[in-house]
Amino acid sequence: MAQMWITMGPQHPMTHGLWTLRVKVDGETVVDTEAELGYIHRGVEKICESRDFTQVTPYCDRLCYVSAMTWANSYIYAAEDLLEADVPERAEYIRLISAELQRLASHLMWLGAFGPDIGNLTLMTWCMRDREMFLDLLQELGGSRMHYNYPRIGGVKRDMPIGFADRVIAKTKLFEKRLDEYEMMLDESTIWLVRLQGVGYANAEEMVNAGVSGPNVRAAGVNYDVRWAHPYSVYDEIDWEPSVEKPTSVKGADCYDRYRVRMEEMRQSCSMILDALNKIPGGMNTNYASGDEMIYTKAPTRAPEGATGFSNYECTRGASQFYIQGGGDGRGKNPYRLSIRSPMFITIPFVAKTMIGYKIADIPAIMGSFDPCIGETDR
Amino acid sequence: MGMSITQDQNASAATACLEAINARFEGTGITASVEHHSNAKKYAFVRMTCPPQHWIALAKWMRHDLGVNYCSMVTGTHFPDGPDERGWEVAYHFLRQPIQDQTPNTHHVIVAEELAGMDIPMEFEVFMPLPQGDSPSVPSIQSIWVGADWNEKETWDLVGIRFEGHENMHRVLNPHDSPEGFHPLQKQHKLRYHDHNEMYDDAQGFMRKPADEGRVK
Amino acid sequence: MAEAGENFAAFNSRALVEMVGGVTDEALKATRIKKFLGVLAGRYFNWAGRKSLFTLHLGIKCCAIEMAAAATPRFDGDRFGVLFRSSPRQSDVLLINGPITKKFADKVVRLWEQMPEPKYCIAMGECAISGGPYFQSYNILEGVDTVIPVDVYIPGCPPRPEALIDGFGLLREKIIRIGGAPSADRMSEKPVIVGED
Repeated sequence: MAQMWITMGPQHPMTHGLWTLRVKVDGETVVDTEAELGYIHRGVEKICESRDFTQVTPYCDRLCYVSAMTWANSYIYAAEDLLEADVPERAEYIRLISAELQRLASHLMWLGAFGPDIGNLTLMTWCMRDREMFLDLLQELGGSRMHYNYPRIGGVKRDMPIGFADRVIAKTKLFEKRLDEYEMMLDESTIWLVRLQGVGYANAEEMVNAGVSGPNVRAAGVNYDVRWAHPYSVYDEIDWEPSVEKPTSVKGADCYDRYRVRMEEMRQSCSMILDALNKIPGGMNTNYASGDEMIYTKAPTRAPEGATGFSNYECTRGASQFYIQGGGDGRGKNPYRLSIRSPMFITIPFVAKTMIGYKIADIPAIMGSFDPCIGETDR
Repeated sequence: MGMSITQDQNASAATACLEAINARFEGTGITASVEHHSNAKKYAFVRMTCPPQHWIALAKWMRHDLGVNYCSMVTGTHFPDGPDERGWEVAYHFLRQPIQDQTPNTHHVIVAEELAGMDIPMEFEVFMPLPQGDSPSVPSIQSIWVGADWNEKETWDLVGIRFEGHENMHRVLNPHDSPEGFHPLQKQHKLRYHDHNEMYDDAQGFMRKPADEGRVK
Repeated sequence: MAEAGENFAAFNSRALVEMVGGVTDEALKATRIKKFLGVLAGRYFNWAGRKSLFTLHLGIKCCAIEMAAAATPRFDGDRFGVLFRSSPRQSDVLLINGPITKKFADKVVRLWEQMPEPKYCIAMGECAISGGPYFQSYNILEGVDTVIPVDVYIPGCPPRPEALIDGFGLLREKIIRIGGAPSADRMSEKPVIVGED
């Protein structure tokens, strides 16, 4: 049978974003793939060279729009490295809580998009319903459902509102029970298991060499998480464990492992949030005014020539890094060079190669299980 | 409590790497130092400066002898106003991760505080200043780390730094039909409306004068 | 392979179809049935069309997440007839929800041209209206209305799902006004902006 190239995208319901996946098929089997990115390349790195350091935060929210809080935090850590700012401990706790809430919302969005790819349309409605709970919480903190502009260099914009902690606890505990419902629906469903197990093997050594990180690599049995390897914030004071899946095959992690890792991560995030609320300095029910020294220390706004800042952060999809160079025109008010490392930029070509050898119908399963987000890929 | 790499582990790993690098590359123009972050836990990392001609040797040694298995970022910067020997700079960031393939049906439990020696995760930064000129180029490390592949494509696409020995170089973010030699992150390319930044310095227009009547921004 | 720009939908019996259509048209006009049918069918099609706006499943950037949220149980666009179709040939509304890059510009135009009349375009979010926070970028068009005609603008970054549903409501009101007018003839209409009272 003749082989032919099929173009999937950029407008395609299964690609989770705007990118083209060209697949060479021999009948139903995928023989070769080619990924093409760049359909939403906005030149954020260039734009940020003419913005103040505080003005860059909203741009970082919009990098990976599904998990905006983690990307804003990632940039803020790099800016704090560059400007040598100190962060009060309560602010670190609040950042941790907001990042974990965002991780929950992001994984729910992933599951809500992944389910329909496999054919389970109910998951979309269930996950989005639960995601709305966390978006409401993040809206209380940040002011908007999706792009919060919440962390500041040296702390956070404002403290948790009164009663926020009670709502977080109630919703998190409710969500932990909902996770049981999801697992009941999915892990006991033959269709789900057949479509995900044995599909899309990805080997740990290859993944690390290729630069893949985050839940994708933890699914292969490898216990690597930036939160303990290059610690930041107060993760060492909270009770948590990185969620790792036991490998069942020498070939690596399949789609089912990657799905299990994220379900485990959601459970871990829930317990992290509850633990952090118990341990937050100043108590969970106090609300300090904006600019109070418990949540914010004024940071310098200019970076001298030759200063650099680098941050390593565990975003929902992997390890994201920011590298900022100071100096330049404006006497250091703007970053001279802001470089963003997106985990998905490296993962998507790797995913394209993982698909070789499987059927066309496995493509959405494999693609979805790696959780692509094109916003951060294409900066 | 959540596990994490301790300050002592981090400091010992950084000094061990520094000693290894100095022992191997003393006197070749490759300098190394242990720097500390100013953010988060203020941990140490290893910073190196390397001239382009020694880069492949250093990269291979890092990969095979220092255990650096993860290439995370390749950043190119253009310094048109910089000194003659630093008109361009390529900054590489690497990580060393304690990864090994797992035997099936086992779950190797890592306890962070018990990692030692080459297993301790470490960040590496390699700076490569390039002289002023129109065609900066660096040897490519595409064959050493797979993760460097698309990073180098992106750096060439956006900044214009050529990577010698890189196979299949093509535009990744800009459209494929971008003009030859158009690399947007070079400093001579300005943003649209770049000289209207007073819009951000004076958002409400308090400093506007009657002469600005009719001007949009 | 066809050259770029060639109309794939053209087929050889177009001349035949036009002749038959022309003859039938004259016959109906003579008996005044055409006018009666036109009014009846026009109203009926207008009602049917605006109550079931099939939107193209196109997700560009952040506003796509709010578009997805508008289809979910809390906000539920489906009760207004808004359903997402994967193929542009089967959709009425092109909802642009993100910035348009130079790479994607001709694909947006191609999607727009593939949609059959009557078709409408909604620009959702700041990036689609004017380039948004990226208006200075070297790669972003300053608004999707530089390449295709837009009927409704929904400001916001991102607009709430309620704003998107309101945008569909305003589009329905616009459809009552303009009916099945082809999209190219709508440039003289005042743009509809959500939130402008």
